[in-house]
Amino acid sequence: MSLKSKLHELKLKYQGKKMAPAFNAFHTFLFAPDETTHAGGTHVKAADDLKRTMNTVIMALIPVLIFSMFNAGYQHYSAINGFPTDFSLMNDFLTWDNFWIGIIKVLPLVVVSYGVGLIVEFIFAVIKGHEVEEGYLVTGMLVPLIVPIDTPLWMLAVAVIFGVVIGKEVFGGTGMNILNPALTIRAFLFFAYPTWMSGDKVWVHGARERSEEILAGANLDAISGETILGYLAQNKGAEMSYSVSDMFYGFIPGSVGETSAFLILLGGLFLIFTKIASWRIMVSAVIGSLVMGFIFNQVVDLGWVAESSKFYGLMSFEFWKHLIVGGLAFGIVYMATDPVTGSQTNKGKWYYGFFIGFISVMIRVFNPAYPEGVFLAILLMNVFAPTIDHYVVRGNIKRRMNRLKDATIYPKDSDGKAEELKAETV
Amino acid sequence: MLEHVELFFKSIFIDNMVFAVFLGMCSYLAVSKKVATAVGLGAAVIFVLAVTVPLNWLLDKYLLQDGALVWLGPEYAEYNLSFLSFILFIATIATMVQLVEIVVEKFSPSLYNSLGIFLPLIAVNCAILGGSLFMQAREIETLGLAFNYGVSSGIGWFLAILAIAAIREKIRYSNVPAPLRGLGITFIITGLMGIGFQSFGGMLTGGGEETEEATEQVNQVQQLEVVEPKEEIVEKKTEVDEKVISYNDVKK
Repeated sequence: MSLKSKLHELKLKYQGKKMAPAFNAFHTFLFAPDETTHAGGTHVKAADDLKRTMNTVIMALIPVLIFSMFNAGYQHYSAINGFPTDFSLMNDFLTWDNFWIGIIKVLPLVVVSYGVGLIVEFIFAVIKGHEVEEGYLVTGMLVPLIVPIDTPLWMLAVAVIFGVVIGKEVFGGTGMNILNPALTIRAFLFFAYPTWMSGDKVWVHGARERSEEILAGANLDAISGETILGYLAQNKGAEMSYSVSDMFYGFIPGSVGETSAFLILLGGLFLIFTKIASWRIMVSAVIGSLVMGFIFNQVVDLGWVAESSKFYGLMSFEFWKHLIVGGLAFGIVYMATDPVTGSQTNKGKWYYGFFIGFISVMIRVFNPAYPEGVFLAILLMNVFAPTIDHYVVRGNIKRRMNRLKDATIYPKDSDGKAEELKAETV
Repeated sequence: MLEHVELFFKSIFIDNMVFAVFLGMCSYLAVSKKVATAVGLGAAVIFVLAVTVPLNWLLDKYLLQDGALVWLGPEYAEYNLSFLSFILFIATIATMVQLVEIVVEKFSPSLYNSLGIFLPLIAVNCAILGGSLFMQAREIETLGLAFNYGVSSGIGWFLAILAIAAIREKIRYSNVPAPLRGLGITFIITGLMGIGFQSFGGMLTGGGEETEEATEQVNQVQQLEVVEPKEEIVEKKTEVDEKVISYNDVKK
């Protein structure tokens, strides 16, 4: 008796009972459902259901996850032993030692995020009596990738419960939420436990422990693990030691999965190619951030900002580099394009994306407390996305009404033509 | 010029009437079911704030402040009438609201009907009185800045009610759990929107002294900065909650 038939029997046994959604979810997760529609009636056959959509996004995230596991170890050992002088990908980066740090630090984050989130989903599905929704599959993968590596697991669990319940389930579950659940979780962590979420001790594994040991009197070198943005926000003057290619390929400290702009770019292209994510949002967000960065660069070039100003460090940062450091690339590709919380209209997507990029860079520069403020910019635009949509739709209606009015007020040659126009416009 | 721009930006986003200080919640919660009505009320609030804040600034400057009466003669220099601020500010506001009501009833009867009781209630909208009192407390220097402050706080309130009205229109058909329908989910939405508006918290002002201090202190400062408003928000929220409930009871 195979697992499949056992599950099928359990499913039949509990059909119509309270626990039915839980067994259904296991069954459809592990096997292809055997219920098909039979003859009679017309059906739409489409391959891209919710599950397929979610799986595609996860496929785009897998390379980022694997890279982040190696990078966790690479940053850890480099911070202790110093960065390798002649960097070679195979010898210094893709090593078992690096990967081991990833396994013991990154994998638990993924497991806790999925475990806690899915338990909450199952509970709600059983209570409310609907099928378990697939919405958490992507959220659960995104969450571990946007937190600092040393985040304690209980914090993550608390935040996931908050994010899934308050951010999503109270609105009626998947597809109804107004804020991106992954970002709600990140924002909860950020405001509830700020010392674990920002500063220069959280981005590299071991930096916090080491600083505590030093405080206790151990004779060790401190591990410095600042992000590039955190460094620039303090306006210390001298250049960081990271090269542009380091920033682009992601050999820099930062949240677990946000560092590699290269792999995120590949993931973004994959999502555009499979038509899962909106290219309009991505393009307009990139344009928005470049425009804002360029304005700040011009302000610096014109000499309006003194070098001693607290904004100088980030204002003088070349505008295109904003895209390859920090969470901006990750946010644009995986967060802003969330089809539920983003703008739904094509025209609205341009405004929505543009303001995400624009406000992200603005927060980075003007708000030294939040150099990693991309997630807040996306949350803010999530709040305003329905407003944008509302006005785009109103504008459309108004334009069509006007066309209709023109067609009826000026019947040119014959009544027939006006009728034709009317038929076209309505 | 620069101070005008800064004050404008600050009052709209950083010190937003709804999301930073949670004022004017009664009408914010009650009239935000439809975007069109919300826009009408928002515009009325902008207008009333834009008129009353400068008027009250003049009152404050020439009547209420310590020694403000000195223009009557040197013997009045010792008078301090600031205990009258509340009464006089409210009197100005009530007069202006009456004016707005007459104008709206004349020119847009449909808006007048859809706003209902909440139009005269602008008179006791805490965002309006709050605008005047903040103007007094923050010692805004010129009449122009006071006008700017009134308009921009109004715009901040307008943006808030516009955004929540659009969200409420969007979630109208959502399967919200029964106990949370209506006011409950609106409070949760407001809290979540507040998180979004946190992106501006501490902007322009934050981090000035931090740069010189050690990084450990930066962490502490950030913690203080971030945690304190949160607690305040929670407190304010419960306060407002009580207010709304008591208001509803009175109405019944």
